[in-house]
Amino acid sequence: MWYFMRSRLGVAAAAVSILFIVAALLAPWLTPYADAGRGVPDLSIRLQSPSWSHWLGTDDLGRDVLARLLFGARTALVVAFGVVVLSVVVGVIVGAVAGYFGRWADEILMRVTDMFLAFPPLLLAVLVAAALGASLRNTVIAIAVSWWPWYARQVRAQVLSLRERPYVRAVQAIGVPRRRIIALHIVPNALSPVWVQATADLGAAVLTAAGLSFVGLGPRPPTADWGTMISEGRQYVLSGQWWIAGFAGVAIVLVAMAFNLAGDVVRDVTDPKTRQHLS
Amino acid sequence: MKFRRILAMLSILALLASACGDDDDDAVGEPTPLATEVPAGDSSGEGGSSPTEAPGEVGEAPDDTAPQEVETDQSAGRFVYASAFPFVDLDPSSAFSAEHIVLQNVYETLTRFNPPGSSELLSPGLAVEWESNDDATFWTFKLRDGVIFHDGSPFNAEAVRASLQRTIDLGLGAAYIFLPIESMEVVDDLTISFSLAWPAPLDLVMSSAFAAFIMSPESVGQDSQWFNEGNGAGTGPYIIESVSPNENVILVRNNDYWGGWSAGQFDEVELRIVEDQVLAEQMIRSGDADFTFNLPFDSYASLDGVESLSVVRSLSMTNLFGLLNNVRLSAEVREALVTSFPYQDVVENLYGGEATRAVGPVPQTVWGAADGSSLPQTDLNRAAAILSDAGVEDLTLTYSYDVGEVEQEQIGEVWKAGLAEIGVDLVLEPLTWDARWEIAQGDPASAQDIYTMFWYPTYVTPTDFLYSLFRTEEFPFFNLGYYSNPDFDVLLDSADATSGTDVDAAIEMFRDAQDILIEDHAAVFMLDVPSVSVIRADISGYTPNPAYANVVWFYDLRRTG
Repeated sequence: MWYFMRSRLGVAAAAVSILFIVAALLAPWLTPYADAGRGVPDLSIRLQSPSWSHWLGTDDLGRDVLARLLFGARTALVVAFGVVVLSVVVGVIVGAVAGYFGRWADEILMRVTDMFLAFPPLLLAVLVAAALGASLRNTVIAIAVSWWPWYARQVRAQVLSLRERPYVRAVQAIGVPRRRIIALHIVPNALSPVWVQATADLGAAVLTAAGLSFVGLGPRPPTADWGTMISEGRQYVLSGQWWIAGFAGVAIVLVAMAFNLAGDVVRDVTDPKTRQHLS
Repeated sequence: MKFRRILAMLSILALLASACGDDDDDAVGEPTPLATEVPAGDSSGEGGSSPTEAPGEVGEAPDDTAPQEVETDQSAGRFVYASAFPFVDLDPSSAFSAEHIVLQNVYETLTRFNPPGSSELLSPGLAVEWESNDDATFWTFKLRDGVIFHDGSPFNAEAVRASLQRTIDLGLGAAYIFLPIESMEVVDDLTISFSLAWPAPLDLVMSSAFAAFIMSPESVGQDSQWFNEGNGAGTGPYIIESVSPNENVILVRNNDYWGGWSAGQFDEVELRIVEDQVLAEQMIRSGDADFTFNLPFDSYASLDGVESLSVVRSLSMTNLFGLLNNVRLSAEVREALVTSFPYQDVVENLYGGEATRAVGPVPQTVWGAADGSSLPQTDLNRAAAILSDAGVEDLTLTYSYDVGEVEQEQIGEVWKAGLAEIGVDLVLEPLTWDARWEIAQGDPASAQDIYTMFWYPTYVTPTDFLYSLFRTEEFPFFNLGYYSNPDFDVLLDSADATSGTDVDAAIEMFRDAQDILIEDHAAVFMLDVPSVSVIRADISGYTPNPAYANVVWFYDLRRTG
């Protein structure tokens, strides 16, 4: 916590991140328009500008934009954590196995990883999402498919150096099973760069998911989703109803930046070099 | 086709991403690649070079079009038509999608259907007069004299025969409109006669938006590829100069057009493909386009306030409906769906309040439409009762619609909310047209439950709506509710055969046939789609004609300002 406090930006980032998570978890209790948040239209109040009863206005189907944003935060939260957890799990397993066993296991796994890395991540995500069809689950899968190789590479590099360390040699010498060595002695020590990347990736996942939704590959309507709000609200900007796309855009920028900065803070905390420098 | 729209949006996204993503690059793997990978998508061979360029074109406008600067005493320069739909097949025999927007200006037909309100049903085109025998099985057309094709060859009865024969032989697209023709005979250089196998209004058929085009003898011998490279000689006022697939088609004036030319007409026309609705709206607002259509309906009210534009609202013969899967859904479920649809909500609130409720499968603007005496009313309680009486519980249904079509999605969301109140879960399935059409043509038992579709007539007849959408099909093509009812088929066939001789009797039969569809709840007949287009206010001569959806006859236009 001390390190977080050292930087005002870090504090702000942490605050926004926490606010985002709380908003997502408590969405139904934070707005009187929970039904609208879930997608129930009220055509009698379409496209109303921000007012006391609807702080951020209403959208093309008369739904409260604030409620849609709050429920959209749930979608974003699921995507962010879903993508990161999935990518980290797959990436760590592949990276650890490749790094520890080396030889043909390394060859095979790394060539597969290279195959995935050969595609630009967003394009690969678009292809996968288009192939699987639009849904929240598929959005998570699509992004995770393009992201796990980054983690695999990172973990493998760590494991390669760790496995030569004396303490690993020692546990090998006393006959600890390889599975235990990897799980208890190597992976935990290989994870610190992964945490940095994972934290920052939470924000990037929100951004990428918004991109997929924007091009029509996000969760199906009427699920509230920030990218979809921008894509559907875009047409109304020309006729002056800026608030649908506008506020969703602000939400995406804030959350993506907050997690990105939080990633920096985590790096400063976990990296011994910067830690010394800070203290 | 929609995939290219995705790439276009990706490039917009890349701009957003690069604008807000370059804060830190050593800890984060993603934001930086985001900005760099889009060019890779651009050149990935998905055929998408034009849409990815498109967003940039707004900014490049001044050196691109700017018709005002090109203006001379004699002509009005270049007219830019922004089309939401691509021109996929420019072969006049087989084109059957949106290509009539181009082809109607390049080729001509023997007759032309007049806009509603005209005193006559048809105008002369390449034929100047025509007559039939009493039972409409033998037709004679007298042709226009002094017409030549773009390639210099003379227009005559033999050219008409060869053109129609090519279309009939290929049997593609809308060629079915010529099914009644048994034989053609060239009587003299400017007279051709037709013997029909059964009575048909051949003069009406010849006004078709598709397939009835007359091309030069040299063109008749060519294949589709040749036409799609921008070749082909018709008799129309414009000649195709160049075709860039998925980008544009350029037309130049045919100086030898039989109608002659006068001051203020356009020398050149660019039909630019702009699939993204918002981009099209930006183009018409900024002056980069002179005409467009298919904008989001909520936009028209604010476009009304733009002085340099006129928003043209007209009758349409296009309707929107949801075909109900007659294989998967029982009669009770179909009835409940028809009863639950939010007709008034949709008509009054969506489509900018400009739509009208459908009276049945045929739009009210087309002769022979249902009389609207037995319209279903939205009644969720009754729908719930129908379902519970039938013992239907835990119903989950799929609603297949075009991704990116704003109104279809809004309709789906409103309907879903209503159905949720009576315990039915409507799952919205946005897909590209290609994808969902392919699914729908597969096994009906595992296909969608509701399939939304627009339809506009090939030539103006109720048959066109009823035949393609509801007549029994062994392999589903457009009958994507898989409706099959022998009584209906028989009635439709005899109504069509009667329409050549006794229109009043045919209308009665068409209405009876439509009543069968309504009673069977074959589909949810949602609404007749309003026809709204936007054209620059200083251009006169534009008369929308619902028989030729979205066609502008560029020859009729004059720049006045």
